[in-house]
Amino acid sequence: MKQYLTFLIRCFRLSFVGDGRYYAWMFFLSVIVLLGINAYCKQFVLGLGVTGMTDQVSWGLFIANFTFLVGMAAAAVMLVIPVYIYHNRELHDLVIFGELFAVAAIVMALLFVTVDLGRPDRFHHLMLRFNFPISMLTWDVIVLNGYLVLNLHICGYLIYCAYRRREPSKLFYIPFVFVAIAWAVSIHTVTAFLYSGLGGRPFWNSAVIAPRFLASAFAAGPAFLILSLQVIRATTTYNVPARALLTLRNIVTVAMSINMFLLGCEVFTEFYTDSAHVASARYLFLGLEGRHALVPWIWTAITINTIALVLLYTPLSRANRYLNTACVLLIAGVWIEKGMGLIIPAFVPTPLGEIVEYKPTLNESLVSLGIWAFGLLVFTILVRVTIPVLAGRLSFDRPYEAEPAPAVQDPMEIRR
Amino acid sequence: MIDSAPQPHRPPPATRLGLPIGAIGPLFVVVAVWLSFWSPKVEVPHAGVATVSRDRFLPGARRQPIGDPPATNVGGFSHACNECHRLFDSPPVSRRTLMQHTAIVLNHGMNNQCFNCHDRKNREKLVLHDGTLLPFSEVPRLCSQCHGTVFRDWQKGMHGKTMGSWNAASGKQHRLSCNDCHDPHAPAYQGIIPLPAPNTLRMGNQEPAAEQEHRHMPLRQWSLPEMPEPELMGPVQPGPEPTTPAKEDHQ
Amino acid sequence: MTIRIWEGQSFNDPPPEPQREAPVTRRSFLRTSSAAVGGVAALAAALSPLRDLKEDDAVSIDKFLQKHYKEMTPKEMEAALARISADVEKRYNIRPDIRDIKPMAGVEFVYALNLSRCIGCRRCVHACVNENNQSRDPEIQYIRVVEMPRGTLDLEKGNHHYNRPTVPDAGHFYMPVQCHQCANPPCVKVCPVEATWKELDGIVVIDYDWCIGCRYCEAACPYWARRFNFTKPSVPADRLNPEMSYLSNRPRPKGVMEKCHFCLHRTRQGRLPACLEACPTGARKFGNVLDPDSEVSQILRTKRVFVLKEEVGTLPRFFYYFDERYPRSLDPQAESVAKSLGHAQPPAAAPAAPQEGHR
Repeated sequence: MKQYLTFLIRCFRLSFVGDGRYYAWMFFLSVIVLLGINAYCKQFVLGLGVTGMTDQVSWGLFIANFTFLVGMAAAAVMLVIPVYIYHNRELHDLVIFGELFAVAAIVMALLFVTVDLGRPDRFHHLMLRFNFPISMLTWDVIVLNGYLVLNLHICGYLIYCAYRRREPSKLFYIPFVFVAIAWAVSIHTVTAFLYSGLGGRPFWNSAVIAPRFLASAFAAGPAFLILSLQVIRATTTYNVPARALLTLRNIVTVAMSINMFLLGCEVFTEFYTDSAHVASARYLFLGLEGRHALVPWIWTAITINTIALVLLYTPLSRANRYLNTACVLLIAGVWIEKGMGLIIPAFVPTPLGEIVEYKPTLNESLVSLGIWAFGLLVFTILVRVTIPVLAGRLSFDRPYEAEPAPAVQDPMEIRR
Repeated sequence: MIDSAPQPHRPPPATRLGLPIGAIGPLFVVVAVWLSFWSPKVEVPHAGVATVSRDRFLPGARRQPIGDPPATNVGGFSHACNECHRLFDSPPVSRRTLMQHTAIVLNHGMNNQCFNCHDRKNREKLVLHDGTLLPFSEVPRLCSQCHGTVFRDWQKGMHGKTMGSWNAASGKQHRLSCNDCHDPHAPAYQGIIPLPAPNTLRMGNQEPAAEQEHRHMPLRQWSLPEMPEPELMGPVQPGPEPTTPAKEDHQ
Repeated sequence: MTIRIWEGQSFNDPPPEPQREAPVTRRSFLRTSSAAVGGVAALAAALSPLRDLKEDDAVSIDKFLQKHYKEMTPKEMEAALARISADVEKRYNIRPDIRDIKPMAGVEFVYALNLSRCIGCRRCVHACVNENNQSRDPEIQYIRVVEMPRGTLDLEKGNHHYNRPTVPDAGHFYMPVQCHQCANPPCVKVCPVEATWKELDGIVVIDYDWCIGCRYCEAACPYWARRFNFTKPSVPADRLNPEMSYLSNRPRPKGVMEKCHFCLHRTRQGRLPACLEACPTGARKFGNVLDPDSEVSQILRTKRVFVLKEEVGTLPRFFYYFDERYPRSLDPQAESVAKSLGHAQPPAAAPAAPQEGHR
């Protein structure tokens, strides 16, 4: 126990050690977090009226980000499955980063739900009267927290074993890994069911929402991991094999193709049927009665998603630069499509046919940015302490060895 | 080429963007000062408050019917009907070309004869088709002669307004009579001024006139046939709301 | 399957000589502590808006520990009511008559609204605001009256913001919508903390002291009947209705849901809802559906009633109807009505419903 505490303290101390770039990055994130805290305090005092939400559009940026981040968290499974089911070698040493990112993403998702509450001071009511299993939101509370615990356990156990220079006992983590695989699918499915179970919102009330969520998550999540791994490659000596990136690239390509296909299915069903239910989709894609705040966004998303997909299909994206571009475009595109593009239109028009648009306020955006910065801060710290442990530079029996001079790993081009 | 095995360690680049740790403390102080004094002000937008005085929605009848026995106001004094009418004999057919009661507009469809309802001899009574005299308080029986189905609905409480209690067993129910709402001479409802439209938080005032008639979606355009004036509502006459003193709640 | 977590070292290697960690020099200590002090200062500055918290926003121990409505003992309810009463008195300088009014036995409420009669005057909307202490700024209204073009029941073609010199308008009919008190309420289903539920008389209520403000119910409601207090509600003290009940019109805090509750503080004591009393045309009908002679029972039996969005399966207790006549030959009560009209027998089965044509 004492050993474990020492480990935690050493990790904590290590998180404050780094070079100038590290400090700059952490300082930048801290400032954004502070801005977010500041904005949230204002919201706490004045109420959710400081957001752009109304009774007409009663969920906005917060829930959009929440939805997106649950997907990002679920995406860790796209590294776990190749490694633990297909015994993929290249991804083996990288799978832990996926799990660490899942931890950070879940933390962000939970924060987004919390800031969306009108009465955060009554959070404990969830413990006292829990409408399980009737309310999908209670399912979400369970699966999200469960996933957080699972990932914390798996990562924590593996890292601690590495710190103790001990072979990890399979019994203590392999079962959890397999539970986590199913669990990752469940978190995003349950989140999709939050929406698709509402008969009063035809835009959401579609069975394809859950598959679409999964497909977009399995595209955006690994895309984010590619970018993170690129950063790790560039800033540390940790071995990130180029082939691993290519495997991830394949995963992203397939998932994104499926996502675009499902989006097409949805669009066809809505517009070809052209029933009264098309109103929300029409608002999203074409605008409704002169109101079209989301139209530029969704077409931007479709455009950049298409560009990303074309880049991914062609050998061009075997080059780092194009691969990174494709990943950035894809994350942005999926964020718009699945966040704002999925949440807001369901409220426009309202069930009574009123058309009220939604635009996030500055305060709301600051809170969201703050949470994102906090999540990245958590992820950075987790990665920062994990790499030396895994590289054997931080273990129970020896002092921390600073990073050796950074090596340029592969040449930038990763062409075969 | 992929993943060359042992990688050569190269010396770090000479210049690197970064932040010395000593700078972080002062920078945080700058942030603190900025947050304390210049952080963006936040306000909750205010809806335009529509104050509606309570007497615009008082419970009760829509109009004050004539009493029983009826009386009229001439020259500032209240007179019983027969004070005048016993002096004059009325012609058997009368269609509102009178010098008195000029305020009365008779607009009751084919029911356009005074003595369809009023008794020719005793003006303080109403008369049924079979000649039975009826006090003014029993108006529904008179109306039921033509409006049988409405009368049936009214009896069951499906037409008209009930005040007091929803519970008939409580005995506190009061069903408003025909002429509590309808003007017997022009029974169709006149238009009234609507109370203010909603103005929910941040929505701002919607421009009603511009969009009112063009709210339909382009793909689903179809035109309605020209409809006649809705006969139930009567012609809409813009103008001040016919303000009749509302009766107090009958409780 | 081998799990190699780290590179290089083999387990059997002897550990190298332990070294001391980098010594803490005075300078590095100063730098680190200056960063820490700066960080704390910035955090304090970031938290500074909390100074503006109002006194009545503060969560007292009593409020924090208050139980869910269904779990409160009568004594605890009494204490809660006393606390609410004191809060109201402090804020508005009016002593309210606040009670916890329970459902009546053998009563299930139903509302019926005659679309042929409604003229869209919005008297109901404002009477409701007045009765139920709804916030004036921000504006919260439980009833929406939608002006619909004739020939459709598609609410998307309606207009919520009509502002005519007089109503009704010839080409339109008017459709007021409020909480339908569904028998299968989606809002109750989705609430994660059971802060909203269906009472025995069919009214769906909210415990304003239990709601956590997640607004899932607002997203779930197909009738857009729920309202959220996005900020602190404001009611002018001179317009406060002091006759209150726990589950209905007592003042709400910010950050919780509210909605129409069929004026339960009135209706559970036999009175009629405020919207009905204010209606100048008698288009609104309310009563006990378990009583076969109640107005609403008669309407459900003899009028062609319909519910809004039947396809979503919510089973509303709020029915709409148009004033077309039920053919008299099919009317089970035709005989008694005929008798009351002085006819000996009901007229022979009419080929069609008689035209009404007047009013």
